Amino acid sequence: MSVVSVQDVSKTFSSGHTAVTAVDHVSLEVEAGDIVLVMGPSGSGKTTLLSMIGTLMSPTTGRILISGQDTSTLAPAQLSRLRLREFGFVFQTFNLLSALTAEENVMVPLLTAGMHRKPARAKARAALEQLKLGHRLRNLPRDLSGGEKQRVAIARSLANDPRLILADEPTANLDARTGQDVTLLLCETACRENRAVIIVSHDQRLRTAAKRVITIEDGRLTTEEDGEHNQNCRMHARAGSS
Amino acid sequence: MLFLAIKNLVQEKTRLLISVGGVAFSVLLIMSIQGLYQGWSNKIGEYIRTVPADYWITQTGATDMFHTPSVLPLTVRDFLNGVEGVASAKPFSGRRVAFAHNGKDINLYVIADDVENNVGAPARVVEGKAVPGEGEIIIDRVVARSENIRIGDTIPIAGRTLKVAGYSEGGYILSFSFAFATKEDAESILQLPGATNFFLVTVEDGAAAGDVASRIEADPAVDAITKDRFVENNTNIVRDTFLPIILVLLLIGIAVGMTVIGLTIFTSTIEKAREYGVLKAIGVSNRQLYTVVVEQAVTAAVLGYALGAALALAINAVAGNYVPEFITEIRWLDAAWIFAVTMVMAVVSSLLPVRRLARIDPAEVFRA
Repeated sequence: MSVVSVQDVSKTFSSGHTAVTAVDHVSLEVEAGDIVLVMGPSGSGKTTLLSMIGTLMSPTTGRILISGQDTSTLAPAQLSRLRLREFGFVFQTFNLLSALTAEENVMVPLLTAGMHRKPARAKARAALEQLKLGHRLRNLPRDLSGGEKQRVAIARSLANDPRLILADEPTANLDARTGQDVTLLLCETACRENRAVIIVSHDQRLRTAAKRVITIEDGRLTTEEDGEHNQNCRMHARAGSS
Repeated sequence: MLFLAIKNLVQEKTRLLISVGGVAFSVLLIMSIQGLYQGWSNKIGEYIRTVPADYWITQTGATDMFHTPSVLPLTVRDFLNGVEGVASAKPFSGRRVAFAHNGKDINLYVIADDVENNVGAPARVVEGKAVPGEGEIIIDRVVARSENIRIGDTIPIAGRTLKVAGYSEGGYILSFSFAFATKEDAESILQLPGATNFFLVTVEDGAAAGDVASRIEADPAVDAITKDRFVENNTNIVRDTFLPIILVLLLIGIAVGMTVIGLTIFTSTIEKAREYGVLKAIGVSNRQLYTVVVEQAVTAAVLGYALGAALALAINAVAGNYVPEFITEIRWLDAAWIFAVTMVMAVVSSLLPVRRLARIDPAEVFRA
């Protein structure tokens, strides 16, 4: 069963007498372990597609199944629970909670899911240490560099062991080197744990991290190619050497 | 997620100070007004409670010492002494009089200190003579301090000049205070020859008080009022006069507190709209987010209550030294209901930010 099944989905935004179709009859299957890079120019519908897959926006027509479940049949509270359990989000502007430390930011999804404070703290700490942020646990977001913030965001997105990670322009606010490192880190983590990842980006360099590269133009999927993930992912290198 | 609520609050220290300050002001206002109300209510009843009587016998229709005049002929005493179950019946006389002092009218309720019958003595004498002599008067210390009247000073009352011989306590009642003169001096002030205002009746041990009262009230010219009821009738004067004012001030206090909490939490919610959107996106339910906002408001309210209550206690303890009329009593019961009102205030003031929260679109988080 696909982790994500997008079935002939369209999204039209209406304003007065004007209607704009942002996503036009798109179908897409994403399996566990897939790392899909969705590319396209600004206004092509990438983010709208990502929002619909993330259940933050409902399609005008068509349907989206997450692990076989039709999201259009779920109530808002059920969608919240689905996002909490099944999705991890990584945003362009990191979107860490400014009042919370790095550790507490990672704890938020765990506590929301009902985990007690002590194990949540331990798990958040372990996740941050794995992402080489063990020395930044007590730092507020304002005291972290862009790369560190994005790594905290990745740790947060992985906190509840989601089956799907949705990343929107994860390198846009990072320098080239940091952006590539962070994305590779995200993809390696996902690869190791057989999670599906959908990344929306303009950044051509992210092809190196993706297994599939899909292009979207004017709301339609136009091409699909293989990415260069297997040549760059250290997980595959290890698998190859063993 | 109380920790998120607290962290959000503490992050904006100025806003936290405004929230806490606003609530503290409300609590200070409400608690001080309630304390004054309680203090004055107690004061008005304090002296009456010390008067030794099971029943106050009044002229029919008179229910307290201050509203309706009660004038009874002294011959009523013979009737009362003849009623089965009455142990004693003693006359109690007093009259409200005013005198000018330093260009200001001062009101006293002069009571006849009847040494012979052991009726009409001050509750507590704190300075000077305990029993007034001829041509002397004992006044309340609150009046003495506020009007700067010293022992040895003379005051003109109803055509007489009386020398202040001592200070009593527990007889200050807002616009007037109890004062004590000899029976003879009081009678010359009261101008009620052959009459008194009340009789104080004590009931014999073992006698059924209710039955005794019924037998007394067989005389249509008199009412027999229990001591507790008579105290309550008098304290109701404070309630009737000040309760509407207290209610208005209470509403003002609540409005101030609610507005301050509501606005500060609302602006915080608007400023953090994106972060709340992120929380919605990652799966935090609306209900959990509302809880965070309500927890913020309640935390600010608890801090504000603690500060306001501490200030109220401190001010009430000190203010009486400078303003003698500032007589307050803050009871645990009052502290508890004011706390409950503060919590309700916090929850109600969260409604506006919660409505704003409900409109946050989590899809906005994908916009840079």
